[in-house]
This record gives sequence, structure tokens and C-alpha cells, in this order.
Amino acid sequence: MNQVEFLEIVSPFKDKLYRLAKRILISTDEAEDAVQEVYLKLWKAKANIKSYSNVEAFAMTMTKNFCLDRLKSKQASNLKLVHTNFPTSGNIERNLEANEGVAMVLKILEDLPEQQRIVIQLRDVEQLEFSEIAKILDSNETAIRVALSRARKTVRNLMIKKYNYGIS
Amino acid sequence: MELAKIEQLLVAYFEGETNLQDEKTLRDYFLNENVPTHLLQYKPIFIGLEAARKERFQKEIDLPKPETAAFTNWKYIAVALLVLSFLVGGVYFSQSNKLTPEEKEALAAFEESKKAMLLLSQNLNKGTERLTLVNQFSTAKNKVFE
Repeated sequence: MNQVEFLEIVSPFKDKLYRLAKRILISTDEAEDAVQEVYLKLWKAKANIKSYSNVEAFAMTMTKNFCLDRLKSKQASNLKLVHTNFPTSGNIERNLEANEGVAMVLKILEDLPEQQRIVIQLRDVEQLEFSEIAKILDSNETAIRVALSRARKTVRNLMIKKYNYGIS
Repeated sequence: MELAKIEQLLVAYFEGETNLQDEKTLRDYFLNENVPTHLLQYKPIFIGLEAARKERFQKEIDLPKPETAAFTNWKYIAVALLVLSFLVGGVYFSQSNKLTPEEKEALAAFEESKKAMLLLSQNLNKGTERLTLVNQFSTAKNKVFE
């Protein structure tokens, strides 16, 4: 398989891999590096690529595992993830505009536990079926629904809190 | 879309009990409809999740260059040639050091004949020295009989 054929197979889901990596690692640079690493690994294993029933799901699992490993090694070496993606908005305007609300939602997503971040990413952003998510995460649908519900409720509660604070 | 239905779907949504179609209904509603005040707090959630889906990988997928692969092949060939030349050279030299009995005999004979030639030439030189004495005799004779 040459690079052109390889890229034809693996390019269509590069954005999905990147968004998942960024959801986990938060930093744009780290996420880009992670995607490159995953593609390098896929390229080295290209001989087997046609035997995988679902290359995309396989790549998603690889990305998830790679990013969680990165996160773990960072925490182990006591390095704080540095990212400058979002300007930290200290005070919230009294009249909540849609954009600010959106920025707030994205900020809340960053602070969710990793597993919930991954689940909400795959379901509410990528709009995947529970069966597909279960396959990627090697988990079961019930566990995924529970994690998803927790994640959504956390976002809702924090938004209500901030929203009420904003208009009162 | 009637409001009661949306409110019902929202409850199910937060319990993780909606299917993809329900979620599309909610998304369409909050992105496009005029949302009443008491539901306004949910709007940023759906807008935010939709915005997150628009993010793109901005870099090129970086694979090892094909030229590098070709160069590696070339290097392998070079190393193979080098090893081959060492092998061939080694065999050649080791063979030239090992002489067959016939060759040894021939070499010994050559050495012997070289020695013999040397002796011969030395004796020949002695002979020429004596000849100079004969020459002196003839010059002396010439003086006497002049």
C-alpha cells in the first residue's frame, strides 16, 4: 500500500480523531501531535489495515488510549497541561450573550472527568450510536448512558447556576 | 414542535435516554427556533456542542517521506556491496597465502637458482679482476720492447 492509498483510507476521519484528542488533552498542540502519532502508528501497521473491520473505530480507540496515556504520564511527572486555547474570562457579563454561553459550555466540558469528556464528545459532538461508542471504548451501553447522563447534568447545573447568577 | 414535547425530550436527554433522532430534534429546536425564556439556559449547550463539531485538524498528516524510504534502500544496497567486496577480497587474499606443495617447490627452486646465479656472477667478477692483471703485464711488456 502506498501513501496515497493509505491517506485515502485514513484521511476522512482525521477531524474526528483530532476533536477527540483535543477533548481529552485540551491543548491544541498536544492534540495535533497525538493525531500525528496515531497516524504514524497506523502507517507502520498498514499491512494489517485492510483486515480491520472498521479502521475508523480502531483509530478512535488508538487515539483515546494514546491521549489517556499522555495524560497519565503528564500527571505522573507532575507536569501541568499548559494550553492557551481560551482566554480565561474572570467576570461574566450580566447580560449573557450566546457566544459567552458557548465559551462557558466549552470551559465546563474541559473540567469534566476524562471518561465523561470522552463519552459526551462521541455522543453529543460526533453523534455516534451507543453501540459504536461501546465498541470504541470497549465498554457497555449502560455504563456509557450513565456517564453521559452525569456529564450532561453537570453541564446543565453549572450553566443554570451561572445563568441565574448572570441575570439576577 | 410543541413546547411540551421539547420539555419532555429535555428531561430524557439529561437522563441519557434519548436516541439520535430525539437529539437531532432538540438540536434543531435550540439552534433554529425562538426559544422561550425559561429554556434559554439550554441554548448555549446545544450551540456549543454544535460548534465543537466544526473544529478541523489544520495540519497535514505527516508520514515518513517516500524519498527517505528510497534512500534507505540505496543504503542497504551499498552496505551489501561493501560486505560482498570484503568477502571476495578476503577469500582472494587467504587463497594467495596458502601455497600448494607444487608452488612451494617451484618457489624453493627459484630461490636456489637465484643463489646459484649470484655465485656465478661473483666468480665471474673475480675472473675480470685477474684479467686486469693480465692487462698490466701487457703494458709492462710494451714499455720494455719499445
